[in-house]
Amino acid sequence: MNESDSRAGELARLFEESLSRYQAALAEATSESALRVVHARYAGKEGEIRKRLADALKAAPGPDKRAVGQAGNTALQKAEELFGSRLVDLHEQKRQADLQRRLDVTIPGRPHRLGGLHLLTQVRLELEGIFAELGFQVATGPQVETDFHNFEALAMPKDHPARDMQDTFYLRSHDPSHDPLVLRTHTSPVQIRTMLQQKPPVRIISPGKVYRKDDDPTHSPMFQQIEGLCVDEGVTMADLKGTLLYFVQRFFGPGIGLRLRPSFFPFTEPSAEVDIECFFCKRSGCRTCKGSGYIEILGCGMVDPEVFRHVGYDSEKYSGFAFGTGLERMTMLRYGISDLRLFFAGDARFTEQFR
Amino acid sequence: MKVSWNWLCELLDLPAGISPQAVAERLSVSGVAVDAIHPIGKGLSGAIVVEVRGKRPHPKADKLTLVDVFDGKEVTQVVCGAPNVPSPGEPLSSPRLVWARPGATLPSGMTLSVREVRGVPSPGMLCAEDELGLSEDHGGILILAPEDGIAIGADFAQAAGLPDFVFELDITPNRPDLLGHIGVAREIAALFRHEGVRLKPTSTDPRTVLGWFADPVHCRDCDSPEHFEKAPRIVVEDPEGCPRYFAHRLTGVRVHKSPLFYRLRLQRLGVRALSNVVDATNLALLQFGHPLHAFDLGKLAGQQLMIRRAKAGEKLKTLDGQDRELLPEDLLIADVEQGVAVAGVMGGQTSEVGETTTDVLLECAYFSPARVRRTSKRLKLHTEASHRFERGTDPSALPEVADACAELIVKLSGGRLAAPPTDVYRHKIPTQKLTLRPERTTAILGLAIPTATQKDCLEALGLGVTFDGQLLHVEVPTRRPDLSREIDLIEEVARIYGLAHLPMTLPRLAMAEPPPPTKGMTIYRNADRARLLCASLGLSEVLLFSMTSPERVRLGEGKQATRPHLLDNPLREELSVLRTRLLPGLVELLRQNLAHGQTDIRLFEVGEVFLPSSPGELLPTERTHVAAVLYGHRDHFLKPTASDALDFFDVKGLCEQLLDGLGLKLCLQPSSEAGPRAVFIRVATENEAPMLHPGAAAAVVAAQSGELLGVFGELHPDQQKSHDLPNPAFALELVVPALPIEKQPYVAPSRFPGASRDLSFFVDDKVEAARLMDTLWHAGEPLLRGVSLLEDYRQPGHVPTGQKGLLFSLTYRSDERTLTDEEVHKAHQRVISHLGAKFSLQLRQ
Ligand SMILES: [Zn+2]
Repeated sequence: MNESDSRAGELARLFEESLSRYQAALAEATSESALRVVHARYAGKEGEIRKRLADALKAAPGPDKRAVGQAGNTALQKAEELFGSRLVDLHEQKRQADLQRRLDVTIPGRPHRLGGLHLLTQVRLELEGIFAELGFQVATGPQVETDFHNFEALAMPKDHPARDMQDTFYLRSHDPSHDPLVLRTHTSPVQIRTMLQQKPPVRIISPGKVYRKDDDPTHSPMFQQIEGLCVDEGVTMADLKGTLLYFVQRFFGPGIGLRLRPSFFPFTEPSAEVDIECFFCKRSGCRTCKGSGYIEILGCGMVDPEVFRHVGYDSEKYSGFAFGTGLERMTMLRYGISDLRLFFAGDARFTEQFR
Repeated sequence: MKVSWNWLCELLDLPAGISPQAVAERLSVSGVAVDAIHPIGKGLSGAIVVEVRGKRPHPKADKLTLVDVFDGKEVTQVVCGAPNVPSPGEPLSSPRLVWARPGATLPSGMTLSVREVRGVPSPGMLCAEDELGLSEDHGGILILAPEDGIAIGADFAQAAGLPDFVFELDITPNRPDLLGHIGVAREIAALFRHEGVRLKPTSTDPRTVLGWFADPVHCRDCDSPEHFEKAPRIVVEDPEGCPRYFAHRLTGVRVHKSPLFYRLRLQRLGVRALSNVVDATNLALLQFGHPLHAFDLGKLAGQQLMIRRAKAGEKLKTLDGQDRELLPEDLLIADVEQGVAVAGVMGGQTSEVGETTTDVLLECAYFSPARVRRTSKRLKLHTEASHRFERGTDPSALPEVADACAELIVKLSGGRLAAPPTDVYRHKIPTQKLTLRPERTTAILGLAIPTATQKDCLEALGLGVTFDGQLLHVEVPTRRPDLSREIDLIEEVARIYGLAHLPMTLPRLAMAEPPPPTKGMTIYRNADRARLLCASLGLSEVLLFSMTSPERVRLGEGKQATRPHLLDNPLREELSVLRTRLLPGLVELLRQNLAHGQTDIRLFEVGEVFLPSSPGELLPTERTHVAAVLYGHRDHFLKPTASDALDFFDVKGLCEQLLDGLGLKLCLQPSSEAGPRAVFIRVATENEAPMLHPGAAAAVVAAQSGELLGVFGELHPDQQKSHDLPNPAFALELVVPALPIEKQPYVAPSRFPGASRDLSFFVDDKVEAARLMDTLWHAGEPLLRGVSLLEDYRQPGHVPTGQKGLLFSLTYRSDERTLTDEEVHKAHQRVISHLGAKFSLQLRQ
């Protein structure tokens, strides 16, 4: 055995010894960061193995340097392998330990509270959507109106008994020479304002709050209406009936029929009330339909020539239909709500039922 | 209005098999809504009229009476529990009762038998009104007088006109002709013309139908001149208010109760029976739909009537005992001394028909609908008469109606006509002559109805129709004031022909430009957007009335003197003012919801408020607001902890999200160059936010115009207390912007990474964070892309007195390259020195 061989054997032992201590230290480390500290101490730039390698290289005569370097690299490679395998083990251990966790999944979750639109808003948006399918655009107007827009232009002059059909709130006036101001009793003034601004064809719906001097479970001093108006050349009452059937079947469900009963509104002629077939009892008679098999849902008619006169439309050239219904009534029917006042009571327990 | 089926049957030839229900159904689908059908005395049989022959107490029961009744053949003892058993009188003039004998059935379905009552056998029972199905009255047994003219032993149901059905009709205001049985009968005849239903041939003189002419009355001495003198003296001074006045004079009248048949008929139709004379006017009213009034002629000073305008302040005590003060627009019926009736509304007390009346002046007039309506409205006196006059009665029918009524008075009271009638009718109201183009009907309805059919429909209603090959010429009788135009005739054709025949089509959608966007529609859309934003932020929508109480308006306005709009005729004080803000209503809801046991409450409303009119504007300024209230805790796990409690920055965060979602740009300072969408947040003054805590109230202000757009913050402790809230609440209210939400162009995110650097310093604690952030942004550093505040700490001991510690994170980035450490470092130093130049900072590492 020559000197060079014995030096190599000595060096290999040194590396072996380092590696065995290194392995033991790795085995003791139980976290990735501790592992990295151990790795740095032995195999890092300043680590023991590199240090021993550097010392050996310094001491080794020229021809042996290569062999020394090779032994060092083998040791370092071994050190990296040990580190890598220990790291994998550690990850696997952690993973296994994590997989042992068992939560009580039945504990209630941390809430992410849902807000919600008022049921009437939901229904209004739905109705706007349905009428948009038929080309009706939304139009709006003020809630405080002049007597002219609310009544006169709708063929309800002062002293007309039809005014009894709508009990009206008046605003206190500081100037009696002005046209009296009212809280609008219907959204029909929006039709007047639209027609005063726009030539036919007109196809609008006007949703909005209206006011009547009434207060009981089926009447509220404030409620919401949605009214429609369609004016053009050649618009007929058959068009009205078809439009309403489309609406009824989209809103209340397919297959539900309707009937028109002649009635009276000052601003339409002919006028009609619209009944739909009772969807609760399928026309066999129940409490909702008071045994008749039909439920009244809206009023409608052909625009009265008198209204056209007020807005400057030629009633020989143009004809049109109008209809109007209460948003609350539609909603109560569909959801089986019996007290109108619930809509305006602001009770979170009511509101939060309808998401 | 109520109508009696039996009465209709008296007016109609009605083939058997047409039931009341079938008639009601047809009426309903043809424009005369039948709200209900009440059967009267249905199922009653075997009850007879008996005379009281004796009574004595039941031996074993205080409250029971043993009554001997005579049925024309024999006397029977019946046990009776009623408190009002009458004492017997002389045979044939003794009170009479209704006895349901064993075997009789009552409307309730009960069949009577002999029953033992406390040891005494009782065959059948003596009946009260409710047991006979006449009314709900169970106060005592029904007692009849001999004058009721019902023979002892007679079948009660038959004598009382039972069974009957009462229809409740909803008559639309355009159809005054349907406010009497004859009009309804005419309508039924038109609707059932193909089933053989006709008005009785005597229909032109329907009085005969009712048997009112059993003993026709004539004025026997009409030809003598002195008799002519006795005709009622009527002076119409105001023919505009009273186009026609027709009057009869009757003499020898004896006033007493009407016979049972008529009393029950009136009662069934909701009219109180009073005396034979007054009942006769009411029966005529129900028959013809035309009101009449009977004056006691003996109580009329000067025995003459004047129809004139009231003098201002003229007083009259009406039949209901109220003193009425009149105005010149009111039409008054007066004798030579004083007013005796408010024309068309109500008679006066002084000339009321009573037991002593012997001579009657019977008024049957046509008054101006508008005048009657104005007076009735002003006096708040709505009567059966005013209801009909204001809708328009038939001026042509006056003689017929007055004659019929006079006949009935004669029949019921034994008097006679004392003179020929007086008829003041200067300008005859003509019948309307209209034309109808048959093709116009088709154009309006979208349904071709043959001309002959159209003619048939109109004739069915009693209109005179001729066809000249092109046009239908229609003569409309004066009873139909609602038919004055071609369109009115088209409606009648549609109604009688049946709307069920209408086909269903959709209107042609013609080419039209989309309407230009309006401010109102922009606000409407933004309001819906605000609703969706609030809902997605976890709030629940509520809807409150626009009307509120003056107190609540004061709460929201504080010391500011905003004059709210008041209602002239509110339902009640709490709903007497139009709201100027939404918050007062929402805060009240917090109280109510807490009372319902809710804990964490988040509510919002989007709605209109009503502010003083702008100069020159008649209508109030209506503005749409969004408001929210928060109470309790944030979303939390199981039991909430102290750190889960809501605070100011929850409502601020909500506000920032809302502003952003509504297209507003949050900036840090007012600026004249900022766009119309730029807003900033500053401390709110007490005037701006009277409901909020002065130290935790912020205002949202338009950066360009300085306009106040809203406030948010913590509820004022006083409000918290007065609304019974144990913990602080948080609130916000914003104006929904009138600007359309801008469509932002897409900006691609930078491909190069940014680098962040912390900036930590102490600074005077009065320096607002927004000023510091604004200064950082305005340092002129082009690489600066983000400024975020990470910490604000003020713990004593850790921070020098009067200072606060802030930690910002600043982000630097270039769109062209990845920045080097050195570039970032230099930029960061430039920003720091800019900030240091403006504020006294103590930088920290
Ligand atoms: Zn039903």
